[in-house]
Amino acid sequence: MTRRVVITGIGIIAPGAKDTAAFWDNCLAGRAAVSPIPPHWRHYAEFTSTIWAPLPVLDYPALGLSRVELMQLDASSMLALCAAQQALDSARIGRAVKNEKKNTFALEGINPERTAVYCGSGIGGLTSLIAAQANHVVSPLAKAFSLVQQQLALDGTHAPARTVLADAEESIRMPPRFNPFIVSMTMPNAISANVGIKYSLFGPNTTVCCACSAGTVAIGNAFTAVRAGLADCALCGGAEFLGDDFGGIFRGFDIAHTLVNPGNDPDCANRPFDKRRSGFLFAEGGAAILVVEELSHARNRGAPIVAEITAFAESFDGHNIMMMDPSAVHIRRMLGTLLKNAGLDLSDIDYVNSHGTGTTANDEIEARVILDCFGKKPLVNSTKSLIGHTIGAGGAIEAAVTALSIKNKTTHACKNLDEPIADLNFVRHVETFPIKKAVSQSFAFGGHNAGLVLEEYE
Amino acid sequence: MEIAGTDALIMERMTKVISDVLKPGSQPITLDKRFKEDLGADSLDVVSLLMALEEEFHTQISDEEAARFTTVGAAFDYVKVKAAQKAS
Repeated sequence: MTRRVVITGIGIIAPGAKDTAAFWDNCLAGRAAVSPIPPHWRHYAEFTSTIWAPLPVLDYPALGLSRVELMQLDASSMLALCAAQQALDSARIGRAVKNEKKNTFALEGINPERTAVYCGSGIGGLTSLIAAQANHVVSPLAKAFSLVQQQLALDGTHAPARTVLADAEESIRMPPRFNPFIVSMTMPNAISANVGIKYSLFGPNTTVCCACSAGTVAIGNAFTAVRAGLADCALCGGAEFLGDDFGGIFRGFDIAHTLVNPGNDPDCANRPFDKRRSGFLFAEGGAAILVVEELSHARNRGAPIVAEITAFAESFDGHNIMMMDPSAVHIRRMLGTLLKNAGLDLSDIDYVNSHGTGTTANDEIEARVILDCFGKKPLVNSTKSLIGHTIGAGGAIEAAVTALSIKNKTTHACKNLDEPIADLNFVRHVETFPIKKAVSQSFAFGGHNAGLVLEEYE
Repeated sequence: MEIAGTDALIMERMTKVISDVLKPGSQPITLDKRFKEDLGADSLDVVSLLMALEEEFHTQISDEEAARFTTVGAAFDYVKVKAAQKAS
């Protein structure tokens, strides 16, 4: 008999939202998170895009992280841990202290050997490596710089040079020491590993690295493992932190002409599927962690069931490392497999949470695929129209939105969609929608395509 | 040994750092305590402790200096000297 897999807990941290409730409120209210990029980034480069979607200020100690964890963990792991705790709380899974010094716990009512962790991430702990590298490279230069400044000041000459040096000094930013934990902070597998350590979970544990579809694939891997009987429960999703202190990661996307042009009205610049779209809104980061369980496991412990996952599929373009294959042949194949795996027809789908980045080429291709594969019936929206692109967390946040949309029988509108590029059933207003069967789909740099089918639990 | 005045404040802050990092439970943190043998620190804990002390007292501790940090008293003496240097 096929093992059924259900979502019983959701935890989200996203631009503009510290938790799932605030995030969902923002979604339904159409509140987007858009701000100018940090002013000090302009010391290093001129940027074409000058807006981003920042995370809220998070009080990590208040969220349960220790002083040691703040020193030893990259922000991507910290976001994953905070989202995981939210997910466990909403799944009504309690915890008991296992080791006070390590700040670790054992989960109650869960067999840790039968519980897996699958998180997705695009860059892992790269921002920590950038900070450590700044200390590594800049420290000796900063000392020399300081000596030159002192000498010039003593001489009382070269006033223009002193002004140049004083200006340049402002751009020197680095942590006070080279972090001795940098290896374990940088490695992408640290995200899932830290979740497994925090909650003493001994089942399969992997971080999935496939850029913008990583969160979707991670949930897909959890679904596959639980359905196949390799685990009874899993913490899965995605976590990403992209806000390095120099705007270097932002610059990488900016120089590749992928980011949104802020224009005269930055609040209206991010507009997936609109004729005036110009690129995606770079998000500082985010995380979504889901608790998924085999159905009887969830029912036996009286867990609240949000939605059921009924299928996962993935494919690879084999086309270009930074561009979607315009024919979308392997996306179509992936969607066909996805629905076949779910035992559904294309016409059964009520709602598609699109990848919806807002880039000219991607939206064009995705809109055509949705029209060809699903027709005009399903509701379509882009969560990135509200929170920007969180890369490896994006698919997980969007799967969470899909589950919440099914549970709450409503979903959010496409922000800033004035002139749609295709005749699709885009969500323009929040109202009651009888969503029973939905698809969440992601496409990534590299060529990784992935989709999930979520259904109302009956 | 009784510690008073500025030194007492330094000790208070240092005790909090040691407590946060090592969680020694009911074991009192006194100057004679050895980090590893008495307060249960392993080698990674010692590295974490050094980082936390650097952060708390806005100073940098070289590897050479760190090697001498085997007891609470040694760390206290070091921090005290650094604090006095900053004040002067």
